[in-house]
Amino acid sequence: MLAYTLRRLSFIPIVFFALTLMIFAMQMMLTPTQRMLTYVPGPDALKGGAAQVAALIEKYGLNDPAHVQYGRWIGNILQGNLGWSETARMPVAEALVSLFPATLELVIFAFVPGILGAIWLGSRAGVHLNKPIDHGIRLFTVLGWSFPVFVFGLLVLMVFYGSFGWFPPGRLSQWALVEVGGDGFRRWTGLNTADAVLNGNLPIFLDALRHLVLPVVTLSYVNLASMTRVMRTSMLESLRQDYVRTARAKGLSERVVQSRHAQRNALLPVVTVAGMEVAAMLGGVVITETIFDYHGIGQFAANAAANLDFPAVLGFALYFALVLVILNLIVDLLYPLLDPRVRLA
Amino acid sequence: MKSWIGPSLGIALLALSGAAQAELKNPGTLVYLWTDDIRTLDPAYMADTANTYVSINTYMRLLNYKGSEISEFVPALSTEVPSLENGLIKSGADGSVTYIFPIRKGVYTHKVGVKGADGAIAWKLYDDLTDAEKAAIAPGYGELTAEDVQYSLMRAVLQGDSFMANAVTEMITAGKYPDIEAWAKDLAGVKTFDEVNEAGLAKVHDALAQKIKVDGDKLVLVLDAPFPATLGIMALPFATSVIDREWARDQGDWDGGAATWKPFHKPEMGADKLFQVENGSGPFMVEDWDRSQKKVTMKRFNGYWQGPAQLERVVLRSVPEWTTRLLQLEAGDADVVQTPVEFLEEVGSKPGIKVVEGLPKVFGRSLFYMWPVSAVDNPAIGSGKLDGKGIPPDFFSDIDVRQGFNYAQDYQLLLDDVHLGKTVQLRGPTVRGIMGYRPDSPVYTYDPEKAAEHFKKAWGGQLWENGFEMTAYMTQGRTEAHAALSVLQQNLARINPKFKLKIQELQSATFADKIYGGGDPSAPMAYMGWGPDYSDPGGPLGAATYYLASTGLVAGMSGKGYQELMRDKFDPLLKQAWTMVDQAEREKIYAKLQEMSYDYATTQFLWEDYGFIVTRDWIDGYVHNMIVYGAWDFYPITKKEKQ
Repeated sequence: MLAYTLRRLSFIPIVFFALTLMIFAMQMMLTPTQRMLTYVPGPDALKGGAAQVAALIEKYGLNDPAHVQYGRWIGNILQGNLGWSETARMPVAEALVSLFPATLELVIFAFVPGILGAIWLGSRAGVHLNKPIDHGIRLFTVLGWSFPVFVFGLLVLMVFYGSFGWFPPGRLSQWALVEVGGDGFRRWTGLNTADAVLNGNLPIFLDALRHLVLPVVTLSYVNLASMTRVMRTSMLESLRQDYVRTARAKGLSERVVQSRHAQRNALLPVVTVAGMEVAAMLGGVVITETIFDYHGIGQFAANAAANLDFPAVLGFALYFALVLVILNLIVDLLYPLLDPRVRLA
Repeated sequence: MKSWIGPSLGIALLALSGAAQAELKNPGTLVYLWTDDIRTLDPAYMADTANTYVSINTYMRLLNYKGSEISEFVPALSTEVPSLENGLIKSGADGSVTYIFPIRKGVYTHKVGVKGADGAIAWKLYDDLTDAEKAAIAPGYGELTAEDVQYSLMRAVLQGDSFMANAVTEMITAGKYPDIEAWAKDLAGVKTFDEVNEAGLAKVHDALAQKIKVDGDKLVLVLDAPFPATLGIMALPFATSVIDREWARDQGDWDGGAATWKPFHKPEMGADKLFQVENGSGPFMVEDWDRSQKKVTMKRFNGYWQGPAQLERVVLRSVPEWTTRLLQLEAGDADVVQTPVEFLEEVGSKPGIKVVEGLPKVFGRSLFYMWPVSAVDNPAIGSGKLDGKGIPPDFFSDIDVRQGFNYAQDYQLLLDDVHLGKTVQLRGPTVRGIMGYRPDSPVYTYDPEKAAEHFKKAWGGQLWENGFEMTAYMTQGRTEAHAALSVLQQNLARINPKFKLKIQELQSATFADKIYGGGDPSAPMAYMGWGPDYSDPGGPLGAATYYLASTGLVAGMSGKGYQELMRDKFDPLLKQAWTMVDQAEREKIYAKLQEMSYDYATTQFLWEDYGFIVTRDWIDGYVHNMIVYGAWDFYPITKKEKQ
């Protein structure tokens, strides 16, 4: 297991290097002026017109050979300098760091019920193939797939907030924002729920949960639907395997056969898909964040793209690449725990 | 039986939809949801309406507008409103005019410098001070003085970034210099500002200090010539906001020295030392500016000289999605929301929501033509040539292009369908209520044949032959702007399928950077609105000057070609009108200028803004002043449950 882990870890710098090369290649497709924005402290640096632009291009060596520029660029990145974001009115790195906890919190709460629900529903559907429960679950997942997120989001918002006033948009109520911003509340993680627990503040914790309900339901439903379908297919495949037949022949109870033999082996594709789902969510869930007034990475990235904020878009691409690399590693490390054959291979 | 529980619950939820009753939430806190965003906290740097909401509430000026009045004032940091009667306005033998502002004593900034036992001065919140600490406030460190006012005005003028600051320069030099750079170049006898050496910098500083002077506890303004709107400018919540000199210096800003101001001239926004800090003396102080969340929280300043405001906090938050804003208003989580005019009737019919309509406004909305625009990597002009894939940088220099665009817009459709017939077409720079406005002056109407006629003549026929592709900019979330641009886009494509207009929405702060961030404009066409800062159409901030002077605000961001057109055709008349005494004759000239804006198709004038606010019914006290564009002064606002 250690050798396997080390082997996987050793891939990370290589993969990240390859990803930075790709992002840099994309960046090189931009004009020197556009690339310059990833170096200057703000858009006002261009106030001097064409002469100023030419001077800055010279200053930042944007006409140098590509490998020289790459070295300079990667050096900047390693120092945390990703340029100035016009949309966030702050350095890109600072914007990403300040928005990440909001998105992470949403992802954690949406992912856990999503994956657990998908495993359970997918397994039930697989075990009860072509029975009413299977039909019901399939209908549920088809709806989840086909229901546009903005329609579902607005619907739940109108019913559960507009009509009942139960679950408001945003991250915290106004009173809670004041309390969180006060001296008596220490920010440890940026995750409202976690910070509330660490500060021993139950009202803030409950308020944060209240605000998470609707975006989490919206997000979970969509992800649950896709992962349930994968789990169902995988479970069906697993139930047809010889080892399941052997287990049954040994006289094991159907419950043990399904949970310990079929379900565990069926999890591998789900873990792969789940890893990608989490990565996608950490990359931002633009529509969900917009509808629920939830300022996270998704809204930031979408705004940056719409506003042609090149440094922010490139910074986001780097961030997303990093997320992908880390989640791939986690998924890779989970495989051998679920299937020892992976370790041996 | 169990299988029916879920569906039954869903149906019940929908049936009960709308049954929830909002109660007053967050007592003492006003939550204002809009689509805007602020650019900076430095009052000298700002010049747009969104920022006014912060500056008007956090900083003090010498004077304030009196309620809704646009030409009456009340004392603020100045204890009196200067007038000839009280002897605080004096005429000099050389034609100059002197304004004297006696400075109020005992007005403190939100943070003051308290001297510790070790002699070190620490900036602390005035509201948190003990009596002993109040007694230890270091002289000059927080109690505003005439020196602070002089520093603030000079800093704004020398920073020279916003057109509001430049208007002060123009005011005190009687229009001789449009900005500090022109003044410095002239005094130093050089051609470019970069050539101005240290001695030149000191010279212009000293010249400015002769016009903005301190006389004991009075601030004295010396104008080269009479300027009727002086008091109006001094009451505007931008460059004339007063900051504490010592505090600004401690933030690393200009130290007040004669030859040290150049590094602080036109700073990059992020490098501006006061970009994200505030220390005014207004009724509220910035508690938090969360740029990533696009949220500003202002907290009540209990040490405000007129006593604390009734609201404890004000939250300005950007929520681009209209449905979300509306639901928050209905639920009582928001108290005021920016509302698209097309939803006004629907919103007004909801219980607990108050719509106040018909508020006077002197604000026109237009599509601005700019030329030449930046040719350096400018995505808005595509290929940069008239080859069907772009436009040349000076595309709008051809009057036939401008006239073609103006005939391609369906103004009546926009007035009827977007504005629900609540407002009127904008007839030129001057709106109803301003001198020079005539209800029968010519306006463009939708006429595709005439548009085609002009397009065929434009650019020697090349335009019609090759077509064009260009991008127009607008601020995010403005549905009426999108409607205007969409209608134009479709009409242009109908007139000639080779005409491709793209629409780019930008968040307001980014939009501001693109349009008036300095240098050459990058947008060939943009949707914007401008209003005069006083009721006279002339002078640096008057409606006619705004649009039609070569040194006006619009010219400042519309490119050199636009400026040249204004210089050649409009400046002489503007100058003549401004110096005339006979009001009837002046009116004729301003009416003529209005007509000329039609003849030269300077701008696509769309509509006059319709004034309204949408609030919860527990919000009272709003005072609408059209000169500050309806920006909210939160000091008199109350939030109380209706009995």
